[in-house]
This record gives sequence, C-alpha cells and structure tokens, in this order.
Amino acid sequence: MSSAKQSATWDLQLRQLLLPKLDHDASECEDAIAFDIHTARFAVTDGATEAFSAREWASKLAEHWVRNESTLTLEEFRKWVATEGRELHDSWNGLTLSWYSEEKARTGSFAAFVGIELDLKTATPSWRAIALGDACLIHCRGGALLKSLPLSRSESFNSAPVLVASNSALHESTMQSVVVDSGNCENGDVLLLMSDAAAAWCLRRFEDGDFDADFLTAKDDEELRRFFDEERQAGRIRNDDLAIVRIEIKRRIN
Amino acid sequence: MGDSFSGDSARKKAEFVSEVVNHTLHDLVIRCTKTEEVRNYYHVSVIGYGRTVSTCFSGPLAARDMVPISEVADFPLQVKSSYKRVSDGAGSWVEIPVRYPVWIHPAADGKTPMCEALIRVKDILQRWLAQHPRGFPPTILHLTDGESSDGDPDEIGRQIMSLGTDDGPVLLFNCHISTRRSAKIEYPTEETSLPDGFARSLFAISSRLPTNFLAAAAQLGVHALEGSRGFVFNGDPSSIVQFYEIGTSLTGMTPYKWMDDIDRSELT
Repeated sequence: MSSAKQSATWDLQLRQLLLPKLDHDASECEDAIAFDIHTARFAVTDGATEAFSAREWASKLAEHWVRNESTLTLEEFRKWVATEGRELHDSWNGLTLSWYSEEKARTGSFAAFVGIELDLKTATPSWRAIALGDACLIHCRGGALLKSLPLSRSESFNSAPVLVASNSALHESTMQSVVVDSGNCENGDVLLLMSDAAAAWCLRRFEDGDFDADFLTAKDDEELRRFFDEERQAGRIRNDDLAIVRIEIKRRIN
Repeated sequence: MGDSFSGDSARKKAEFVSEVVNHTLHDLVIRCTKTEEVRNYYHVSVIGYGRTVSTCFSGPLAARDMVPISEVADFPLQVKSSYKRVSDGAGSWVEIPVRYPVWIHPAADGKTPMCEALIRVKDILQRWLAQHPRGFPPTILHLTDGESSDGDPDEIGRQIMSLGTDDGPVLLFNCHISTRRSAKIEYPTEETSLPDGFARSLFAISSRLPTNFLAAAAQLGVHALEGSRGFVFNGDPSSIVQFYEIGTSLTGMTPYKWMDDIDRSELT
C-alpha cells in the first residue's frame, strides 16, 4: 500500500494487485496496471488473449495513457489510440512471421481499457474516466455501489466485448462504444479499477449485498493472492488474469 | 459433389466446399495463434467420402486421422498470396497482403457411403475420447449432398451421439446441400416441417444446438431457437458458410466472419 500526497486537502491511499491466471506465470499475464501520482492518472487494461501481442498492447496503452495530460474526450482518445496503434504495428515491421502470425498481426491487437484522472485541487475532489471494453471503474461510498462503468451489472460480462483495437481501420465502429463519464468524491470514497473477471465478481457481490470494499486493505499481498486463488479455484471468479487498483480518497488531517 | 449449385454458375459444389473447409481451418488456426505460437486448443479431423472414405489431409499430414491444430498450422499444402482492399480508417481504401493457406483440394464422386463414413468417424472419436475424457465434447460437422448410398445412417448416428466426455455428449450437426431450387430449412426444432423421410432421418441424428451455438447463430443473424437441431436441409452456399461458422463457435466466441472473403457472386 502506498500513500500519495496530492493536495493540501486530500490524500490518496493506493493498493494494487496483478495476478496471472491460475497455473500461469506472471510473464503470461495480459492484464496491466499503470498509475502516475503526478498526473493523478490510473489505468487498467486487459489484452485479448486471442490477439497478436496482446500483452504488449495492454501494457503500452496503460503506461502511455497515465503519462498523458489529455485523451479524456472521445476525439482525443481516438487520435491517441491511432498513434499508439501505428507505433505498435510499425514495431512489427521487419519481423519474419509464419503465415498465421502475419495474418494475426494484420488484424492487430485488442485490449479492454479503463483510465481515470483525479482532480484533487478543489474542495470537492472529482474523477473523469474513459473506458472501452469490460475493464471497469467502480465507485463506492460507505460500502455502497455508487457507479460502475462501462458495465454496471455482473450479467453484462460476456466473452465478446468491443475492445480498443490497435488497427485504426476498426476504430470507426469500435470507438462508438467508448464511455466517457465523471463524478465527484467525498472523504472515504473508494474507486476500484478492475479487469473483467474481478469486476464481474465484485458487481455480483454488490448485487448479493455481500461486498466489502475494505477487504482489499485488510489483507497483506500474500493473503490477497491466496484469497483470489481460492475464489478462482472454487469458480466464484472466472480463471482469468486479475488486475485491481483500489484508490481511497482521504481528507488530510493537519 | 461434382455438380454445381442451382443458378447460372458452373462452379462446382466441391470447389466451394473445399474453400469453406480451408477457410474454417484458417479460422481455427488464427483463433489459436498467440503472437507466434499456435496453441493446441483443438484437434481436427477432416474425413471425405465418395468412392472411398478417407482423411482429406495430404502432404505431411497424409493418413492422419486427428491432427493438433498447431500441426495443421504448420503444414498447409500451399499458402496463396493475394491482396485485399480494406478501409484505412480515415475514409480511404488500402490494399493489404493476405494469405490463403490450402489444406484440402476439391474431390467429387457419385457415391454417398454415409454409414461407412460415420463408422470411421465413430472409430476416430472413440480413440480420441479414450485419451481426452475431460475435453470439450467433439463436434462433428457433417456435410452431404445426397442420401446415403449404403443404408440408413440412423443407428450409427445415434451411436456417435451417445459418446461423450465428462463435459457432455458429442455434438453431431448435419448439413444437407442441394442442387435443386427447393426451399432450405435451417435449424428446425421439430421434424413436422421436414419434406421427406431422408430429411427426417438426418434430423433424428442431429444434436440440439447448445446455448453457445445459439448465441453464435444469433450473431450471424441466423434464426435458431432453444431446441433447434444442428441441421440444415437443402442448404445453399450461405448455409454452408454459416453452418461451419456456427459449428466452430465454441465457448461463446464471436463467430469469425469471413464470408466476405468468398466471392459469392460466382456461386449463385
């Protein structure tokens, strides 16, 4: 857990967890987490397993997005993704590929994306978010679910979400599904960024009246890993990579 | 399958079917490709029947009844290169290189030894199931252009449908294609809508479409209901393409749509 001083009034308490699928190495994990305390930006991405260089695309999107200072409108986001996608595809030039890798590369890579930027400089802290796919922002207050986007119900998760494509030829249709939103925070609010399996599980727990957003802080890293391994072994969470970022907004005590 | 589909085209059904099978194999390989590795999510068998009943693979895969998809990927008979026009995303069109691997060449013969072919399928399945008792149940996509010439396939069909893994029964789907201009019947729920005994006999040995396959059908705009059988009668070229797309759409995956890659104007 880390604490970041963002303003004279507000502190952020952060917790992150990144786990590969059960029986997989960390190097196989296609989820990615990035944050930059200076820009107050956070991102979770989830590379599509079937895509070419999914892990690379997911990491690139998350890491580059948190370094930016805009891309929070659809038009900015679209231009930015096109630039990042071109760079990715250019990096494959000169590779000697089998016919199937060449075909796969031609289609490009895909990832779910959720990014948020916090504004802590005012009396009322706020967030702005942009998301495409099934990686989610979940805003909790007092243990209750305030908002979840781009998906808000556990049954909305399926295996074919519209994702961020590296191939800009696909953007005309896919970018129509981008969700841009914003919200205000109060002292003690918790923002969760989660890849799909964790988000589906979390929303289901909320729907069952059985979610405690504080549990992420009550366990150490090893306890959390064991907990999520058991949940996946029991089938309560789909056996998928898990990426979770917990951000708690706390008023500073002077 | 030496004759053509109804209409003006001289193109042979066999050529079209082999093209569809090659596209399907291409699709399965691409689905299993993770960057530069092909993962063996599938094992594939392609059996043809006419004068003889035999595997359709040749070259390095000759005489192989069941082939892991990574080996299918590595051993096409040839890889054709071409160019395809696609949108550049900015209002213009660009030509990009594409690859068309070929594993199966068209073959046609007058006979239809359906029972012998299904007996061969059952034998292959039994060997595979003994080695993979927990695997996803195999799916048989059976395409025929006519009635069985070696007896009623009902018994052997039912024997195949009685096989399975811990995860469920083997799925047997049947697609009958026709050269006549008769109305096609796709994924019926009951046999009363069928025109004759041959159609009813294939219906009887067609598995119900599980939920995931129904979802795939819906994504393709194909009308299929809870209780629909994996069965097409008097199918046309579109039916064949959709039959393979639905039949290979496992685990709720989005069907890989490559129908646009095939120039259907030549087929009707």
